[in-house]
Amino acid sequence: MVDLFSGQLLIAALVLAAIYGLVALGLNLIYGTMRLLNVAHGEILMLGGYLAYWTFTLTGVGPVWSMFLALVLAGAFGAAVYRTLCRRVLKSSRLIEQIEANSLLLLFGVSIILQNVIALSFTATARAYPYLDDIVRIGSFQVTMDRLVVLGIGLAICFAAILFFRVSSTGLQIRALIQQSDAALLVGVDVERMRLISFSLGFAIAGVAGCLISMLEQVSPFMGFPFTIAAFVVIILGGLGNLAGGLAGALVLAAIEVYGVALTTTSMRSILIYGVFIAVLVWRPQGLFGGRSMVR
Amino acid sequence: MKKTIGTAFAVALAGAIALLGSTAANAADPVKIGFSESKTGLFAQAATSQYQSYNLWREQVNAAGGLDIAGAKRKVEFVSYDDQSNPGKAVQIYEKLITDDKVDLLLAPWGTSLHLAIAGVIERYKFPVVGNTAASVQLRKLKAGNIWFPTSLFPDRQSDVLAALLKDRGVATAALVTNQLPYTQENKSFVVPALKKAGIELVINEDYPPNVKDLTAVLTKVKNAKPDAVLAYTYPADAVLYMNGAREVGLDQKVQVVLLGPQYDFFGKIFGAARNGILTMGHWTPARKDWPSAKAFADAFKARWKTDPDFLDAPLAYVSVEILQQAVAKAGLDKDKLRKIIAGTTFATINGPVKFEGVMNVALPTMISQIQGGTQHIVWPAKERTAEAIAKPAWK
Repeated sequence: MVDLFSGQLLIAALVLAAIYGLVALGLNLIYGTMRLLNVAHGEILMLGGYLAYWTFTLTGVGPVWSMFLALVLAGAFGAAVYRTLCRRVLKSSRLIEQIEANSLLLLFGVSIILQNVIALSFTATARAYPYLDDIVRIGSFQVTMDRLVVLGIGLAICFAAILFFRVSSTGLQIRALIQQSDAALLVGVDVERMRLISFSLGFAIAGVAGCLISMLEQVSPFMGFPFTIAAFVVIILGGLGNLAGGLAGALVLAAIEVYGVALTTTSMRSILIYGVFIAVLVWRPQGLFGGRSMVR
Repeated sequence: MKKTIGTAFAVALAGAIALLGSTAANAADPVKIGFSESKTGLFAQAATSQYQSYNLWREQVNAAGGLDIAGAKRKVEFVSYDDQSNPGKAVQIYEKLITDDKVDLLLAPWGTSLHLAIAGVIERYKFPVVGNTAASVQLRKLKAGNIWFPTSLFPDRQSDVLAALLKDRGVATAALVTNQLPYTQENKSFVVPALKKAGIELVINEDYPPNVKDLTAVLTKVKNAKPDAVLAYTYPADAVLYMNGAREVGLDQKVQVVLLGPQYDFFGKIFGAARNGILTMGHWTPARKDWPSAKAFADAFKARWKTDPDFLDAPLAYVSVEILQQAVAKAGLDKDKLRKIIAGTTFATINGPVKFEGVMNVALPTMISQIQGGTQHIVWPAKERTAEAIAKPAWK
């Protein structure tokens, strides 16, 4: 029987939660503000992973620093994708359902193109590098330093983002857009600018997440999709468009993955995760941490 | 009359020149070799090294003046299409390669499922193909005659050989954690009875889904069960999770088997010396002195692709083209002759001699490998080994 109170399981759950929370944050931001279903989210993460890999391999600069470059480049790429593709979808679609469906198809195409461009450019060979992989002993348990770094930076970014959306003027305008886009327009929020910022920020966070994840696993052109799926599960658990709820959703998903498996068997992992996922969709479609309204 | 004879002569001369010209052009035309590649989709990552070996071989052959086809040398030209890791697509591609592109020779696609899928097409057209990156007991059911498999990593034999090695290492109890994907599950289905037969008690036997992101919980269970050996039947992505988890949890077993992962270049880059002592599957190493071309292949691969070849697919793909090259040198492009030569000849390859009986290579025993000093050595059976098996050192 596994000791459920062991620090080993706790740290594993927290590291996973930080990863899921970070990946879901960007996806949730883009969905919340524009109702765009960014299924290419995992591919932006993958690009961040490649950036970290090549920066480390060619210059020796680690992902802790290259993530700033990823933040800028992924953000700029997000702005370009928004201006060239997604703005058209928003303009040409009259209904939310249309926006969701059209963006899903459009961004699915983007994801396939990105996967294949990277596969053709760098081959599909998995790549990896050693970085901060020493074992650290904390009390009765051990953890590799890279996982601690991912936990620290992941949580810092998540909480900085929440603070940003609660305190800063831009953050408040974006939240207003998430909660009531028509009302936000009426009170003078520059909707177009806020959408651009949200989209760029969503991509930027995904790029940073990719840099961090490249410390823990190998990078390949097809690494992104499982993260996109995990991010969708997280934001459904937390409530679509509910940023703080998304972080709580990440913690729930990580807890199911670590403690659920500890209590049952590893083969139960997917059954547990998708069982909870379906239950939430059926009984609490607003998410575990959402109120009556779909968007918080 | 004179004019008519003159015209007829001119026409005949022109025809003869054209015919000679065309014959000369045919001899100089490149030999077309077709195959499907898993450039995208599920297998894309794993299939890359096969493609790299094929291309390395093509470049080497062309640099040496071309492929020797029963005495005449012709440059090699590839005709390939992306099968999207889809067996149905691969079937269409091989049909097109044979009937539309009219290729002279065929190379194999990647993976067991695609080999099984194209078996029907090549049988229908009686077009011989030397397989490579496939290892399932299902392959033995294929009709012998147009497809052959140089590998010896068939799960049933591999399980017996591994159980014998574990017994030799004094293992009495073992834990088995297995990815739910087909190859690892097939291996599990054979290793469980093989361990039992060898008198090794299985104290943990758990499966995990392929998209798992953390193995801490199950590895904690393994640690608590205190087995003599841990068998992690992984695919490459979750092999990383196993290694990280085993280090963190502190699995100190002296015998740890990681099925798929340690053979790949990226694995060495992440774990460096930490992977020393990990046992794994594989029947090729550049360290074998009696396979002199093995080291040359590894060096050429690294020079061409700036990465070490993996210890599974890259050499197997290269072995398959070496076999084809030697067969074509004797038989030319005639399919019937080619089939007879492949089926009845012993070939010298980077993986030692290859001799087929039915679809199987009977010259290569099943082996178990171990990472030692940053490379992969064969450690079992004893008469094949390039190094003695070592106890896994403590994690650093």
